[in-house]
Amino acid sequence: MSAARAWRTWILVAALLILHFLLHVGLGYGRGAPDLLTVGLLLAAREVGLGGAAATGLFFGLLEDALSVLAFGANTVAMTAIGILGAFTRDLFVGDSRLFAISYFFAGKWMRDFIHWVMVGEGLRQPFFDQVLVQGAAGGAYAAAVGLVAVTLAGRPGEP
Amino acid sequence: MAVYGPERETQGGRRQVTFAVGVMMLALATPYLSEGVQQEIAFTLQASALQPFIATQQRLTETRANADRIDYLQSELDSLSAVVSTQSALADENRTLRELLGLTERAGPAFLPTTVLRPGTPGSEGMFLVEVGFDEGVREGAAVVSARGLVGVIREVRGRSSVGMDWNNPDFRASAMLVDGTTFGIVENVRGTFREQDRLMLNGTAYHEDVREGTLVVTSGLSGVLPRGIPIGRVESTAEVQGGWRKSYWLRPAVEPGSVTHVLVETVDGPPDLTVLWAADSLSADRVPALPGPGR
Repeated sequence: MSAARAWRTWILVAALLILHFLLHVGLGYGRGAPDLLTVGLLLAAREVGLGGAAATGLFFGLLEDALSVLAFGANTVAMTAIGILGAFTRDLFVGDSRLFAISYFFAGKWMRDFIHWVMVGEGLRQPFFDQVLVQGAAGGAYAAAVGLVAVTLAGRPGEP
Repeated sequence: MAVYGPERETQGGRRQVTFAVGVMMLALATPYLSEGVQQEIAFTLQASALQPFIATQQRLTETRANADRIDYLQSELDSLSAVVSTQSALADENRTLRELLGLTERAGPAFLPTTVLRPGTPGSEGMFLVEVGFDEGVREGAAVVSARGLVGVIREVRGRSSVGMDWNNPDFRASAMLVDGTTFGIVENVRGTFREQDRLMLNGTAYHEDVREGTLVVTSGLSGVLPRGIPIGRVESTAEVQGGWRKSYWLRPAVEPGSVTHVLVETVDGPPDLTVLWAADSLSADRVPALPGPGR
């Protein structure tokens, strides 16, 4: 990975983080806005090592949990796990095709929702079908669409 | 997206795994931290990294609240305007009624006070209904007046109501003269391109008579339909001169029919000369619309 591309990726991840909180917290769009934080984490996980991805996930999760009153830690666990799993995919899948990118962001976002659903506790948990299958799938598709744009912006390997 | 080959088993790689496991353990521990520690972490992040976003939301909320407040104030202002405008109409009606009351006292029982109703339907322009009729002594051709002058003439009489026409009606005619009795003619409606351009014309006056602008024109009583001395309007300008033997003049009407709501209707007991009724006030320049000015 060239230094220029690494910089571009990290700037993009920072922009996604800012945009995520601006849309969700600043402007209060809620579910209307995509989960840019997970997209940013999945993007970063492909660029850094396992430890870096885990730390990034931990930081992103804590940021989200800071605004979560009743289930502190659920986002932290989910994001850290996704960061680690995202970094693992570097060893498991080699490729930069559009299909891979779509599957990667869709599966990443869906798994993030699933882990969060598991960690949030029974008292706050919504029905599995509604929360994970329906909303998780919809959120995954949304994240895949946004992720595809983000990958395009980050640039392809080999580009300066 | 980056293409990466399998990571080689190096010391750095093992360190990465160890660090990642450590971070994961830390993450798994966060739900089990004490509530105080969780709150401290949350407050720290809210006051630092998340502060700009929370501030943005606060500003947005305040802006929305201000917008709601503006809507509320606007509705209050609208309500107030509605009240003020209603009171303005009420004051105007009050003034009209007071004027009419003065005229009623001077006219005596020969004139009946009533309200003007306008149908407002197509084809009824220049027509109005009054709630007095044959039973009260109203007859066809009776004068309908307000404190300012002639409003119109009764055309159809029914038992308890009548239909009248004002000078906006194309059929309106009235024998008229200057208030000093020097010049006689016929006042009639002249249609404009639009209804709003209808005007009153004093027609058929002698060519050699010199009529000054602003002179009051009243009914002459010559036709035997309308009593003498009811103000119709003031001479505004010369309309046309025909062949050196006849002149006509535009008049500024004494009464705007559209604004009239209460009138007096002449009965069979009405006197043939009403000059004295308006002598006290209406014939003075301040009661009939002032000149000069554009036509209606």
